[in-house]
Amino acid sequence: MYVLLRQLAQLRRDAGLTRPSPPRSLALRHVDAGSCNGCEHELGLVISPRYDLQRYGLDIVASPRHADILLVTGPVTTRMAGALRIAYEAMPEPRLVAALGDCALGRGILGDPAELAGPLDDLLPVDIRIPGCPPSPRAIAEHLLAALEP
Amino acid sequence: MIPPVDGDRWRETIAQRLADGARFAGAWAVGTGPQAAWRVALLAPGRPAEVLSCPAREGRVPTIVDLVPAADWDEREAHDLHAIDFDGHEPMRALVAHPRDPAAWSTPVAGEGVHEVAVGPIHAGVIESGHFRLHVVGERILALDTRLFYKHRGLEHAAEGGDPACGLAHVGRACAACAVANSVAYAHAVERALGLWPDRDLRLARTLLLELERLYNHLHDIGALCAGVGYAPGAMAFAALKDRAQCVNERLAGHRFLFRTIAVGAGALAVDRAAVDSARGELRELRADAAATWRELEFAGSLQARLGAIGVLNYHAALQLGACGPAARAAGVPTDARGHSPRLWYDGDFRPAAPRESTGDVAARLQLRAAELETTCDLLDELLTHPLAPGTAAPAHEPRPLGLGLVESPRGATLAAVELAADRIARLRLRPGSYATWPAVAHAAAGNLLPDFPLINKSFELCYACVDR
Repeated sequence: MYVLLRQLAQLRRDAGLTRPSPPRSLALRHVDAGSCNGCEHELGLVISPRYDLQRYGLDIVASPRHADILLVTGPVTTRMAGALRIAYEAMPEPRLVAALGDCALGRGILGDPAELAGPLDDLLPVDIRIPGCPPSPRAIAEHLLAALEP
Repeated sequence: MIPPVDGDRWRETIAQRLADGARFAGAWAVGTGPQAAWRVALLAPGRPAEVLSCPAREGRVPTIVDLVPAADWDEREAHDLHAIDFDGHEPMRALVAHPRDPAAWSTPVAGEGVHEVAVGPIHAGVIESGHFRLHVVGERILALDTRLFYKHRGLEHAAEGGDPACGLAHVGRACAACAVANSVAYAHAVERALGLWPDRDLRLARTLLLELERLYNHLHDIGALCAGVGYAPGAMAFAALKDRAQCVNERLAGHRFLFRTIAVGAGALAVDRAAVDSARGELRELRADAAATWRELEFAGSLQARLGAIGVLNYHAALQLGACGPAARAAGVPTDARGHSPRLWYDGDFRPAAPRESTGDVAARLQLRAAELETTCDLLDELLTHPLAPGTAAPAHEPRPLGLGLVESPRGATLAAVELAADRIARLRLRPGSYATWPAVAHAAAGNLLPDFPLINKSFELCYACVDR
């Protein structure tokens, strides 16, 4: 394990990660509302050593009760629309909604319209838009960091 | 057309084929209710795939689920989406449909101290949506009901009526992590229906893409399993390795998930000498680093202590339930579609990887993926010795109304069935390796402790998006 930790420290140095600026923080809650799993793969990497979003004070939390931002992926299927609304209602104010990926933004949607309740814009007030199919980990990190700016 | 088998002879015909050594590969309905027909695809070693069709007289077809337990999900899906009743399939529990009453879709479990733990569809991490209903006594899992299809987008239905290129867009979007395997299975199915055969360049390019997909997926899955026991150093190290593999994908093929690299009837990837050389060098370094990181995992006591004798799927159950891919191979079932893929570039004597011991537990599934990384890296090293041309598929036989494609995805054999009418898609069925293997997760979870369930689930690491479509 110590070898692994040393390798990870080396990886951080090689990637030239900068120190975070002033202490601010946002807690993110992710909801998959029918994505192809591409956005989930890339979001998972945002908190891996090469991108390390946590050093900026952003982290993914386990409950909408702890969250400032609801990160939504997918075109919003009819079967996920209810759970998505419950997750949103469980969040404390002030809260933000981020549409992660082209499907959540209603772009180039594929599928049977009868199975889709989206796009997200019709269901929740979207504050942050992160385009891409899927957006790369770097793009996700950059858009979320912009939300930290006052 | 596909010659119909009368309902009265349906079970006997299927039983005969199974006795002759055929294996169930998937099933799908065409049409709805009384106008529907029910198709079953069977594979037998050394023989071409066979599709049998049974007309749904008054919307009814005799079940084969007692003969082929692996057909359970297919029949339940056809019941929900095509209004076919399967005589003798009792109880018929909802699969794609989401009725409110839990009795309509879950196992009745009763007794002193029995209670239910409901998880999902939204999970605590960055995970796809799906619901698990765990029936437990204390910490012990008695039974698990998985309720998926929260992400059902109706992709097959949306593709029907369109041309084969439109179908490819829908299939490619079903799942990012299996985009290549699903697309190649679909392309093979359409090309078979159109009477086309791929040339050497096309076989090489598609094989390369399939192995690049397997590489980043297996790296991901090993990391996910480490996360499943809370072993962060392993999870982080493998996440970084996976990211490197995806960066190679982007430089080589223009996309981290290899989107838009497959076309129907032709290739969509050309790579010059400099790009293959550079990718080959990067993958050699990646391979050495992955091997070194894997050795660390093998000596990490807190990880290894969690893996043995947990989530066992034995040989018999894997065969019965129709599990495929790493889960089946870890149970000692030597199944790998790469061994019989004449439309791809694999050697005729391709040998599936085998675990050190076919214990079918979490340890075996993890170890098998590490062994398969070696095979994949060998193949990639060989495939990247020459520049790649797109290639094409040329007419080789008469067109047929139906084509099948079977491709080994990172999670098992993926079947695509395409029925064409006047060059339009009359019916599309995508049955990914994940779909075939999900029933085995519930089987493997029973009898284990509740805190081990995330680990067991991660050791299969099946897709939800692929299955839900």
